[in-house]
Amino acid sequence: MTDICIEFNNVSKKYKTLLALDNISFNIQKGDIFGYIGPNGAGKTTTIKILVGLIRDFQGRVNLYGKDISINREEFHNIIGYHPQEAGFQVWRTVDHCLKTFGRLSGLSSEYLENRIQEILELINLSDVRDKKIVHLSGGMFQKLRLGQALLHKPEILVLDEPLSGLDPQMRYQFKKIIKKLAKSGITILFSSHILSDVQDIANKIGILNEGKIMRIGSPEELQSSFHIGNLIEIIFAKNTPLCDGIEAISDVENVEKVKNNKQLIYLKSNVDIDFSISQIMNKVLQQKCRIRSISLVKPSLEEVYLKYVGGETD
Amino acid sequence: MSLRLLFLDELKGYAKSKVMIVLWFGLPLLSLLIYFLQPNTEGVPISFLVGLLVSSIGGTLSGIMLSTSIVSEKNRHVYDLFLIRPVRRSSLLLAKFFAVYMCLVVAVVISLIFGLIIDEFTVGLSEYFLNETFESLIISMSSMAITCSIGIFFGVLVSSVPVAAILSVYLGSQLSSIILLPTFFIVTLNPVILALTLGISITSIIMSINMYLFSRQQF
Repeated sequence: MTDICIEFNNVSKKYKTLLALDNISFNIQKGDIFGYIGPNGAGKTTTIKILVGLIRDFQGRVNLYGKDISINREEFHNIIGYHPQEAGFQVWRTVDHCLKTFGRLSGLSSEYLENRIQEILELINLSDVRDKKIVHLSGGMFQKLRLGQALLHKPEILVLDEPLSGLDPQMRYQFKKIIKKLAKSGITILFSSHILSDVQDIANKIGILNEGKIMRIGSPEELQSSFHIGNLIEIIFAKNTPLCDGIEAISDVENVEKVKNNKQLIYLKSNVDIDFSISQIMNKVLQQKCRIRSISLVKPSLEEVYLKYVGGETD
Repeated sequence: MSLRLLFLDELKGYAKSKVMIVLWFGLPLLSLLIYFLQPNTEGVPISFLVGLLVSSIGGTLSGIMLSTSIVSEKNRHVYDLFLIRPVRRSSLLLAKFFAVYMCLVVAVVISLIFGLIIDEFTVGLSEYFLNETFESLIISMSSMAITCSIGIFFGVLVSSVPVAAILSVYLGSQLSSIILLPTFFIVTLNPVILALTLGISITSIIMSINMYLFSRQQF
């Protein structure tokens, strides 16, 4: 039996005339770090708000551990921690006061919160500003505080909406480290982003969303291998050695491109047997006694996969 | 549980705000100033004038504070972090209302005590003065409750901070004076009972509308 944690079944959401989500279905397994990517306005935040209960008026069904979230929402609060994309805090509060309030509202006792807040602040490196007013925090600290409040009640599922947006490189690195640490502790993480490198660094499963539709779901490797940008072979030659001639003459080859002095890109025709084509190319290379460093089948980058599904263009 | 917690929390927030410092210290000082500027009040107790002043200025300020803080918090998605927890939307509004109202009551009481002290030293307190002051207190508090609920109404309904402030200034304080109107036309009406009845009923109706509208809003 699969350990499905979050399940979206035929979920649609319409804002007046705008169809924000169009019949999306996907599931996330326990322990997954699910990267939810798509351009701005694709429907990522709408999906997340439905999951955390901020949007209740939608079509379809969302299950957590097999139970419909619309039926008993309070039961699910204890399971989910939510880091919103843009939620603000009442700035007159101190960091400590803010966390205490949210903790108490989550049903945690004051005694428990004393230690828990310290643990959280240590995790997110905010111990030094525990008594500082929120109005005096930097953007990165603010973002960390959003994460901190989501972790107070030790959720099993962490939902992060654009957690890395607006952070400087150092803060991004720290944040990714924290997310990875949390994932290691067994928390299931759903996080949205429109920055591919972030998703690639953290996620073990990716969902691509565009115009309210799920375009593709899979691991980064699965997505890359499912998308053929054309069969392309790259040969890198040793320095100061001539490139291989006559590869164009091989029947499977469509075109040969010299990229640098020591690099050739060989475009194969579609529907050819790649292994056979590579052996033909290798024969040619060996016949001419070319010295090569490497020969490899070029896979599309995740960026190319993403751009294909969201309708952008690759260079 | 969450209403009590939110109320105490909001109370703490408002008590720390500059507006409340103005209400708690500024208005009593203003009542003193009024006396020194115009000592001859033609028999009207200072405490009565202070009551009217506080309900007018304090009520308007609170209405503006409530409407603008709700609009600004809505726009900054402050409520998202509350609403993902087991918190009723109505509790958020009620907590704000009671917190501001409580702060206003404190301001009114401080100001009236100031007024009564001045009355005692100038003309001496009489039963008439105390009755007038009591009447002034009840009317002020009823009027302020309505102003606060109207402030929340505009906060819930409007999405621009300046618009919410303008509506609260021009409509909030004007509409709250509705509780005094019937006494002008029917002299036999007891202004205290009328103010209490109208204050509680109008505030309850407006707050119910506010909670209904707030519960239907998309966050």
